[in-house]
Amino acid sequence: MTSAAVDLEIVTDQPGGTWASVGRHMLRRPDVILATLVSLFFIVVAVFPGLFTRTDPQHCDISVAKIKPQGFGHPHPFGTDPSGCDVLAQLAHGARPSLLLAFTVVGASLIIGIALGLLSGFYLGWVDAVVSRLLEVFLVIPLLLAALLLLSLFRNIDAGDGDFATIVQPAIVLTGFGWMGYTRYVRAAVLESKNLDYVRAARALGASDLRLMFSHILPNAIASVTALVPTAIAGVISAEAVLAFLGIGVRPPAISWGIMISTGAPWFTGGYPYLLLFPLGCLLATVLSFVVIGDNLRDALDPKLK
Amino acid sequence: MLLGLFTVLLVLLLLHLLTTLAIQLNGNPALAFFGDHVPTAAQLHAVEVRYGLDDSCYQQPGNPCLGPFWHRLAEYAHGDFGTDLEGRPLTDLLAQALPNTLRLFVIVTITWLIIGMLLGSVAARFRGRPIDHSIRLTSVLIDAFPVFVMLVVYRFIFTVPLTTWARRTFGSDSIPALLFKPSYSEEHPWLTLIIPGLLLGLTGCAPFLRLVRAAQLENYNAEHVRTARSKGLSNAHVTAYHIVRNSSVPVVTAVGFVFADALSGAVITEGVMNIRGMGNLLWQSVQKSDVSVVVGIVTILSVVTIGVMLLVDLAYAALDPRIRLD
Repeated sequence: MTSAAVDLEIVTDQPGGTWASVGRHMLRRPDVILATLVSLFFIVVAVFPGLFTRTDPQHCDISVAKIKPQGFGHPHPFGTDPSGCDVLAQLAHGARPSLLLAFTVVGASLIIGIALGLLSGFYLGWVDAVVSRLLEVFLVIPLLLAALLLLSLFRNIDAGDGDFATIVQPAIVLTGFGWMGYTRYVRAAVLESKNLDYVRAARALGASDLRLMFSHILPNAIASVTALVPTAIAGVISAEAVLAFLGIGVRPPAISWGIMISTGAPWFTGGYPYLLLFPLGCLLATVLSFVVIGDNLRDALDPKLK
Repeated sequence: MLLGLFTVLLVLLLLHLLTTLAIQLNGNPALAFFGDHVPTAAQLHAVEVRYGLDDSCYQQPGNPCLGPFWHRLAEYAHGDFGTDLEGRPLTDLLAQALPNTLRLFVIVTITWLIIGMLLGSVAARFRGRPIDHSIRLTSVLIDAFPVFVMLVVYRFIFTVPLTTWARRTFGSDSIPALLFKPSYSEEHPWLTLIIPGLLLGLTGCAPFLRLVRAAQLENYNAEHVRTARSKGLSNAHVTAYHIVRNSSVPVVTAVGFVFADALSGAVITEGVMNIRGMGNLLWQSVQKSDVSVVVGIVTILSVVTIGVMLLVDLAYAALDPRIRLD
């Protein structure tokens, strides 16, 4: 009875339920709106790089090397790098691997994390024991060490060309060591809600295990998991940059901001600061906007910490 | 304790399976020993025997190769971690690298504790005021800067002008000149490590800071704090004994997890700043495809991480009498 009463109260208090109120909370904050616009802009860049530049990023002409930024209207608005590649074209095309990787990794880790969390929280017993042990094993190995080890061990294996093939190895590694957080949150939420009255009622009415898990228990866990997603996307984007910087992430001739940063950094003091500043600016703007969205989402979903 | 050992065993098994798969798909790592030189079959076989790669299972993709795994475990149990490709024992390499990594960790931990605890407590104390908002903004900004970006920016933008300035003002062997040196120097291990350690600590302190703030906020509204205040205890006393102490349990947990993060950060920091530590050693062995060193280091680091997590569990019981260890 009590839980029903509480539910009613929430419904009368905030018309439209939790998500509408989260939406209202987010839209009231100017920084969230700005961050959303920035991240949408970079998503558009990643999907349609052709909208922003007509130059082919792989077409590098050494005779026009090291042109400083000239502003729009010139053939090389953001200048060219030491081997004559157009910086704007590289920036626009470099967005795709990072963002594609981020969304693939977060999506795949969400699926694995939620599935394992649901199973271990719902069935407990040996399923839980196996999942918890697995979780611990993956937690103990730091992400970057694992990535370093695996990506260099498997670096001779050629996955082929194409957008997805260039990121498939980092994607597998980052997913393999990125699902644990979701599992823990989902498991905790399942444990909390699996014995609530309405779940027992549904079980008594003959609902199958799958139905109980997906339509009665999972919605309780979604809130805490959603708050993790934008931050996780930001984390993968910066992890990709680190891997590219170490030379084991997305590999040339594919372009990414991380590669541009590592090749541009030594030129900073030599009079070509834009070679570092442009890719760095893009990376930071993207990561920062996802972090801001995640931070506010966490607040909106967990009002206790406001 | 037993569970911890079991986890170590599983970690080892996982690493073994992955390296085995890599060897099976990639071809013989013993060839790495010879570099560009093409060995005779006898030479190749001798090297294979020396590094335990002579088992035929390494030629069959999909074979888990459990035989060499048990063999390696037995060697580890005797304290024999094998040698690198040049024949130096791994334990010697570690003995050289470990002090630098530990120094880095000391600086990182101090940075965390000072910045995280201080800013977190201040933010919780002045909740909702401008200072809270600015601390929070700082933590979001810190979150957005990956460690390597900080280090690259520092190394390529700041070190050169700073060193030149410090050398001109204070002389080339003065403390400030060494402090801003762009790479690690063997003679001044502490001084040249301070700035890399500070940067690494700074990037890790944002989640820590938020955790401190959240834990303390929960206590500010707790009943025992209200009771303490109504008894007339001073603000400082209440903050120190009733709020900070009680909010240290989640903070200690974080130290355990952030430790694993710092290990990752150490690889990048040591790589970018040329510090001869565990991370750098690992990085170089990865590039030389020196499998036995890599597996050895990752094993040791995992054991250390598990040890830290056990210590965290013990610290729980000491900090919160409600928690008992079975």
